Amino acid sequence: MRLKIAVLIAKFAALLSKRILRRSGETISGRVLLALYPRAIAELSKSKKIICVSGTNGKTSTTKALVSIISSISKLGTVATSPSGSNLERGVAAALMQKSDFAVLEVDELHLSRVIEEAKPKVVLLLNLTRDQLHRMHEVKRVADRWAKSASAAPGTLFVGDVDDPFVAVALNSAAQSKRISFGGRKHQDGAVCPSCGKYLKWVRNNYKCPCGLTNSNPDEIFEAGSAAFRNATMANVVGKYLGAKLIAVDEKSLERSVDQIHAGVKVNIRLTKNPASWTEALKSVAGDNAVLIVNAREVDGIDTSWLWDISFSGLSGKRVVVCGERALDIAYRLHVEGIEAEITSSFKDAISKFESGASVQVLAAYTAFHELMNS
Amino acid sequence: MSQIKIVRIHNELLGTYGDQGNAEVLAFRAKFHGITANIVDVTYNDDLPTNGDIYLLGGAEDAAQLLSLEALQRGDNLNILHMAIERGAVILAVCAGFQIIGNRFVANGQEVDGLGLLDVISVPGDKRFVGDIKTTSSILGFELTGFENHMGHTILGPTAQAFGKVITGHGNGDSKYDGAVNGNIFGTYMHGPILARNPEFADLLLTRATGRKYAQITDPLALKYATWRRKVI
Repeated sequence: MRLKIAVLIAKFAALLSKRILRRSGETISGRVLLALYPRAIAELSKSKKIICVSGTNGKTSTTKALVSIISSISKLGTVATSPSGSNLERGVAAALMQKSDFAVLEVDELHLSRVIEEAKPKVVLLLNLTRDQLHRMHEVKRVADRWAKSASAAPGTLFVGDVDDPFVAVALNSAAQSKRISFGGRKHQDGAVCPSCGKYLKWVRNNYKCPCGLTNSNPDEIFEAGSAAFRNATMANVVGKYLGAKLIAVDEKSLERSVDQIHAGVKVNIRLTKNPASWTEALKSVAGDNAVLIVNAREVDGIDTSWLWDISFSGLSGKRVVVCGERALDIAYRLHVEGIEAEITSSFKDAISKFESGASVQVLAAYTAFHELMNS
Repeated sequence: MSQIKIVRIHNELLGTYGDQGNAEVLAFRAKFHGITANIVDVTYNDDLPTNGDIYLLGGAEDAAQLLSLEALQRGDNLNILHMAIERGAVILAVCAGFQIIGNRFVANGQEVDGLGLLDVISVPGDKRFVGDIKTTSSILGFELTGFENHMGHTILGPTAQAFGKVITGHGNGDSKYDGAVNGNIFGTYMHGPILARNPEFADLLLTRATGRKYAQITDPLALKYATWRRKVI
């Protein structure tokens, strides 16, 4: 079947899905396209400059930032992307159906290799790699090895990344072209072993240097230290600059994946928290006296909750903490052992009802809970 | 004994799967018995403390597992563990840690001698076991729940007993038994962490470590959590 016909059928499937099922239609069109034309990603990529964004945390917001940076240099005025953050092959294929000269694609860590192989991107931006969804990733090192392997097999691609993260540094070291960015060094929870040689990795304060050569001490560009949102925006700008775009002001707030909503008169700020690194980052910025924590354990949340014990929740001490979600008991017991007594509720609605109208509440939500609240 | 020392071995290497919580639960339960628990974190370059009451090892990736083994075979460390066992100290080792304290295991394709504290050998299978696990143990009067995420097949020698009989999950790879036990040395594939999911097991370890019998703890939330997991798995 010809590609054009496959694209038409896929778009028609998306239309039906939108009209009849009232879904976004994004994944269905990608699924249909790949079923009819398995080489669609490779073919559709030929007419575009492709930029891929991957990493454990910050993919969606960094992709959005890059889309806005690159739209200023797009001759067609549009940049193909997946608005819903659908980051497996089907989401990538669906995004590539849009007419554009550039595409910025968020790609799942385990699926990056295949997308690089097919889409032959101009730039790949690697944000970070930490423990996440271990039931699916199995090991952090396993993901890093895949990244390094595909970087070495893509000589035409520029790999940009934060070498303060040793896993990102290994991938960049394997690439023919790389831009190594540092924010002055930062401790890494999974950084005790050198991901390059397997020896005990030597850290001096926030910087590492392995006898095998892996280090963050020789970056191509160095920036001041900042929040995860700041780092991601800065790296998006580095990619934009390389492609000839104008820089954007770094808006940390918009890069935090945080959203303000009002529920039953209660003002809530909702942040996505899905693994130890993103929880730790979010817990630094909990202001006010009220917090609602939502923990689920569906496939995309990670079906095991053991990692809740890798996080220190001591910053919530003294605040009013209400928990909900399918694994409310897991988080409640973890908090209990840390000396924080949470109120357990059966739904987000119940959790919010504990607060008076007009109160401000920080909500930290698991992946599935965050998306449900975004669509509510 | 109003004080105990909990030694968390190489959490920086053996902490990938959340098992560090075992130390926190032990310290928390100890408080109910009027015992002050002191958690000591031992890193790769440190020597083991000679006066630990409970030594803990957790799950890890292959390279980290080999580094931990290397550090425990260094200097006087293994001797310290042998002496600790002799004076009745408890060892709880999970997943990669369980393999380390066995006789032999394979990591990164390399077959190596373990510490030989438990009479088991472990080899990787071709399938990864990922999911909830439930077992029952003759040592305990209740079911244990946890989460397993490993490729290990562990075979018990004559001086090790199986720790749990598998109800749900794969355990030692045969889907029949999980872990091994010999005296106060416990090995298991269960994360969760295992003591968070099964706080009564923490009480048993405290009893074994101190040689004292304690009154039953009343902690409704702990009981509710443990009971719920036993019901749903």
